[in-house]
Amino acid sequence: MTLYHFLALSAVLFSIGIYGVLTRRNVLGILMSIELMFNAANINLVAFNYYLHPENLWGQGFVLFVITLAAAEAVVGLSLVLAIYRNIKSVYAENMNILHG
Amino acid sequence: MGEIGPLLSQLFHTGRDWAAGHGVPPLGAQILMMAVQVGIIILSISLVPMVLVYAERKVAGFMQGRLGPMEVGPFGILQTLADGIKLIFKEDVIPRGADRWVHIVAPIVACAPAFVCFAPVPFGKGMTLVDLDTSVLFIFAVSGISVIGILMGGWGSGNKFSMLGGLRGAAQAVSYEIPRVLSVVPLLMFYGTQSLRGIAVAQQARWLGVLPKWFIFYPVIGQISFVIFLICSVAETNRTPFDIAEAESELVAGFHTEFGGIKFALFFLAEYAYVFLASAMAVALFFGGGDGVILPGGLIPSWIWFLGKTFMIVFMFLWFRWTFPRMRVDQLMSFCWKFLLPWSFVNIALTGAWILWRAHS
Amino acid sequence: MINLPSIIFYTFSVLAIGMAIVVVTSRNVFHSAMALTGTLGVVAGFFALLGADFLAASQVLIYVGGIMIIMLFVVMLSQQPFDALQRQTNTQWLYGILFAAAVAASLIRSFRDVYRGVAAVATDTVPTSAPIGRLLLGDMLVPFEAVSLVLLAALVGAVVFGQDRKAAK
Repeated sequence: MTLYHFLALSAVLFSIGIYGVLTRRNVLGILMSIELMFNAANINLVAFNYYLHPENLWGQGFVLFVITLAAAEAVVGLSLVLAIYRNIKSVYAENMNILHG
Repeated sequence: MGEIGPLLSQLFHTGRDWAAGHGVPPLGAQILMMAVQVGIIILSISLVPMVLVYAERKVAGFMQGRLGPMEVGPFGILQTLADGIKLIFKEDVIPRGADRWVHIVAPIVACAPAFVCFAPVPFGKGMTLVDLDTSVLFIFAVSGISVIGILMGGWGSGNKFSMLGGLRGAAQAVSYEIPRVLSVVPLLMFYGTQSLRGIAVAQQARWLGVLPKWFIFYPVIGQISFVIFLICSVAETNRTPFDIAEAESELVAGFHTEFGGIKFALFFLAEYAYVFLASAMAVALFFGGGDGVILPGGLIPSWIWFLGKTFMIVFMFLWFRWTFPRMRVDQLMSFCWKFLLPWSFVNIALTGAWILWRAHS
Repeated sequence: MINLPSIIFYTFSVLAIGMAIVVVTSRNVFHSAMALTGTLGVVAGFFALLGADFLAASQVLIYVGGIMIIMLFVVMLSQQPFDALQRQTNTQWLYGILFAAAVAASLIRSFRDVYRGVAAVATDTVPTSAPIGRLLLGDMLVPFEAVSLVLLAALVGAVVFGQDRKAAK
């Protein structure tokens, strides 16, 4: 079970997240796919730390910051979604087109 | 004398060697014995709510000037068994507008993490199932999973009032997690380890040969930590005075209104398992785990001390229910955010000051 | 080679990829959120497999016990009567599949070329809580303090955007 296995797994999860971001109509679905991409990157970081540099913990420290920033971004994004829902009563991305040219 | 810790690990090794000797590959034998250990924990933790439900009804009865269950078995001991059998035979109703899959999985998500949380708890000398290096964080993390079960219960009921009850219950649980975790931080600063077994063992010393060095006896910081931990645990397990989310006289039954039979039994089991977990954690963290007092060493085994102390704290949980009136949800939230949280920060600062003062003198 | 870490890795991989597919294809947004919660728990399992015990517990505590609860709140508060009849995937799903497959293939190809045979050095797992604490307050002090400012900004932003101005008036 080498480094390559973990990297392949995280690549697959990342691409599933990309598919979700590109195709989901529901804005919450898009946010969930973004969280999936964050987690795939986290697996990558911890795997690199464990296999290539086991003497220090920079990968894991970095992952802590990624988790924190993903939390902050998810919270702000979700409150924005809630505010938009209160105005237009819909959470589907194609209805949020007021600034459309 | 009477210590069963070494006996249990002996049994584990004997079982594994027996399985390996009968043709099971060594890895399979290891996994098999680990599964047996997990099964034993699940069985024993499932029996605790039966005792606790009976204890609650008896305590409630005596505090209200009546006798409690007396019919089934001598002094009503078999009452919980009868209730369990009744609940198993009830019809399982899923409301038509409810999400079927969510309705089935919600009680499991609320209940399963409770069993996992008992893995790092030190029940006595040598009786910790898995001595993790991050036990405290692990227990808080896994017990946070059951909040998702509350939300799923609210959604899966298919009616707006249950959903609101579920949202309120989840908001309450998530809010009270913060002072709870922060009240344990002074202990981690003091003992330098997150392992519950390590913290319990580090408290097995004596001041002046008499007073046990339990964390609750440390001036100010021990008491504030324990009080905040206890209050937040009562709020986390949705017990009175913080049970607005499932209040029987207010919202019918809140987020578990539409769950009957075995599903209701699982929600109930989860609540009592979490009460037992919070008491076990309080004992391991604040009261020295299996440490004994007064009697000369070794007379009563450490697991009996641990269970005795745990049931004293469980009695406090039961006592609170019939002493305090229920808090309104806005009083509840402002109590958490405006009172408990600042005091837990003050507690951490005081502990830091104490440690620095000790290091310099 | 069949040993316990391999069994655990392949089981968790199947679970994680299966639940991730449910997240991006489910018709019911609550089911997507449930599957995402499961995926995040399995990712915590991967962290534990890679010796990062503090990180695994933090992942469950923050993601499952925090972010997913907020997400479920918003899902529950933004439901509409005809949601069950909507299709959740938009009209460019074919391009989405092609692009995602291209990204996955190129990533896997480049990883295979570089990191094919890198195996782990056989060391004992050390508890990582204390070393991470020393790292955060030592070498990574500036990002640590900066992240607290980011969290303050996120807190203020969430409160401001979450206010119900019409109800307040």
